Amino acid sequence: MRTRHPHRAPPDVRFSEPGSPLLAVENLEVRYGGIRALKGISLHVCRGEVVALIGSNGAGKTTTLRTLVRLVQPAAGTLRYAGEELTTIGTEQVIERGVSLVPEGRAIFPNLTVRENLELGAFLHRDKTTIAESLHDVEQLFPRLGERMAQEGGTLSGGEQQMLAIGRAMMGRPSLLLLDEPSLGIAPKLARQIFEAIRAIAAAGVTVLVVEQNTRLALEVASRGYVLRTGEIAREGSSKELLADPMVREAYLGA
Amino acid sequence: MRRVPAVVLFAIGALTCVGLDLAYDGLVSWDRGSKFWLHILVVCAINVLGATSLNVVNGMAGQFSIGHAGFVGIGAYLGGAIVSNLALALKIPVAALKDNLSLGQSFLLLPVALVVVGLVCAAIGFVVGLPSLRLRGDYLAIVTLGFSEIVRLTVLGISADSATNPLTRAIASLGGSLGYRGPKVGEDYLGVPSVAGPFWTVGIAALAVFLALRLKRSGFGRALRAVREDEIAAAAVGVDPAKYKVTAFVLAAAGAGVAGALLAVQRDGPGIVGPANMKFDKSFEVITMVILGGSGSVSGAAIGAVLYTVIFYASEEALHQLAQAVPAFGSVDAAALRMTLFATALIVVMLVRTQGLFGERELFEKKADDGTPKPPSPSSDDATGTAKEALAS
Repeated sequence: MRTRHPHRAPPDVRFSEPGSPLLAVENLEVRYGGIRALKGISLHVCRGEVVALIGSNGAGKTTTLRTLVRLVQPAAGTLRYAGEELTTIGTEQVIERGVSLVPEGRAIFPNLTVRENLELGAFLHRDKTTIAESLHDVEQLFPRLGERMAQEGGTLSGGEQQMLAIGRAMMGRPSLLLLDEPSLGIAPKLARQIFEAIRAIAAAGVTVLVVEQNTRLALEVASRGYVLRTGEIAREGSSKELLADPMVREAYLGA
Repeated sequence: MRRVPAVVLFAIGALTCVGLDLAYDGLVSWDRGSKFWLHILVVCAINVLGATSLNVVNGMAGQFSIGHAGFVGIGAYLGGAIVSNLALALKIPVAALKDNLSLGQSFLLLPVALVVVGLVCAAIGFVVGLPSLRLRGDYLAIVTLGFSEIVRLTVLGISADSATNPLTRAIASLGGSLGYRGPKVGEDYLGVPSVAGPFWTVGIAALAVFLALRLKRSGFGRALRAVREDEIAAAAVGVDPAKYKVTAFVLAAAGAGVAGALLAVQRDGPGIVGPANMKFDKSFEVITMVILGGSGSVSGAAIGAVLYTVIFYASEEALHQLAQAVPAFGSVDAAALRMTLFATALIVVMLVRTQGLFGERELFEKKADDGTPKPPSPSSDDATGTAKEALAS
C-alpha cells in the first residue's frame, strides 16, 4: 500500500517488527443468554501472518470475529490489539485503529452502487487523496469491481459481491483484516480466486485472520490455524500439522 | 453547468416567497374565491414538509415510523399556544388577531414559535427514539404508533373538571375534544391566529427539500442508507447504526413538529387545533405520500405530498359538484371515498411499481447502471491477476 491512514497513530514500536503478536486474545468468553458461545478461547495473530480459524457451524467462529470488532460483548477475557486493550473501546474506535471486518454472507449494501459501497468502506477516513488511492488499489486488486462501479451492488454475482465486501474492508486501509467465511456459497473456482486475493492482500503486509468452513482452502493460504469446536480451541498448529492431524482430517477434510 | 452559489439560491428563494405572500393577499382581496386554491397551495407546502421529514427516517434510514402524526400534533398544539400567547404578550390588538396577520407581524411571532417547536419535538423524538431504535426490527413501528395514540388520548382524556395539578391543568387548557382555540380573552376564546402564509409554508418546505437533498448526498445520508441496507455491514465500516437511526428520527420529529405548527397557524386557517391531527389516518396519509413518491427519494416524497394533497381536494371538489348535479351523491362520505382511493392507489403501486414513482432516485437524476447488457470483460477470468503487482508497488 502506498499511503497510510492519515489519522492512525504509528504502531507501537514494541509490536512493529514482523512476527510479534498484533492481536492477542486471552480466555475470551461470550454468552448469549444462558448459552456459552465461547468458553474461554485464547489465540494470537502475529504481524504479517495469515491465520485460519476453522470449525463447523455453531462452533463460535463468527462470534469470535464479531467480538473482536466489538459488535458482541465479551463476558470475560482480554483482547489486545497492537498492545491496546479493545474491550474498553467501541466498534468505531476499533475500526479507526485499523481492524476491518468482512462480515459473513457477503453483507454488502445491495441498493447502493459499487462505488458507494466502496466509499462507505472509507467512512472513517476524511482525506480525499487517501480515499482515491485506496479506491485505485481496490480496483487493481479486483479489476471486475472497477468495471462495475456504477452498478448496484445487488446486481453483482455472488463472487463479485464477496470481492466487493473485501474491497470495501480494504478501503479502510486495515492493518488487520478479519474475514468471515469468504467462500460461503461461492462457486469453487471463484472461491479460489478470492483466496488468491487474500494471499495478495497478505503479501502487501496486511495481517489476516480468516474464518472458514472450507478447511483445505483456508489452510492452503494460512500459515497457522486454530480449530474451534463448540466454543473451545480443539487444536492449534501450523497449517501443515493441521492438515496432517487425524482428527482434523476426519472431521473437516472428509479424508 | 456551473453551480449556482447557495447564497444566491437562498436570496432568490426568499424573494420568491415574499412575492408569493404578497400575491396571496392581493389575489384574495381581488377575488375571495381564489382563497380555496391558495389554501391548497399552503397545505401542499405543509404536507411537503411532513413527507420530506418522514422520508428521512422511513426512506433514507429504512426505519418504519407510523406515528408521524403524533409529532405533527404536538407541533400544532405547541405552535398554536406559543403564537397566540406571544401575540397577546406583544399586545397585538385582539381584533387584528381575528384576521390574517401581515407578513411583518408574522416575523414577530413565527421564528420563536418554530424554533421552540422544532427543539421540543426533537427532544421528544430523542426520548421516544433512543430506546426503540437501539433494538432491531419493527419495534419503532409499534412504539411510534403507541406514542401518537398516547399523546392524542392524553389531550382528549383530560378535561378542565378532572384537572387537579398544574400539569393536568395545562393539558386541559388544550381544550380536549373541542380542540385548542387559543387563550381566553374576556368571555370568548381568542382563536389560533392566522399567521403563516406562503412565505413561511412554501419557504420552509423548499428549505426542507433543499436540506434533505444535501443530507442525502452527504456522508450522513450515505451512512443512513448503509444502515437501511445492512446494519452489521454498516457497523463493520464504522457507522454506528443506533446513532444514525436516532439522529434521523430526531430530525424527522423536528420537521413534523414544524409542519404541525404551520398547520395550526396557517393563513385563513381554522383557528382551532383539534386532536384529530394526531389520529392514525394522518400518519397513514404521510406514509402514503412517501411510498407513492418513492421511499428514499426527496423529490419523490415532495411530489407524492403534492399529488396527494391535490387529489385530496380535487376528489372533494368533484364529489361536491357531483352531489349538486345528482342529489344521491350527497350522502357519499368523502373521507371514506378518499381512503378507498388511496388504498387502491397504494395496492396498484405495490403491484406495478413497488419502489414508488421515483424509487430512491431524484428528479433529473440518472438511473444507476443495472449491469445486464455488458460486453465480456477481458479480465473477467483473471480477476486477481494484477493484484500482486498492484499491491507490491
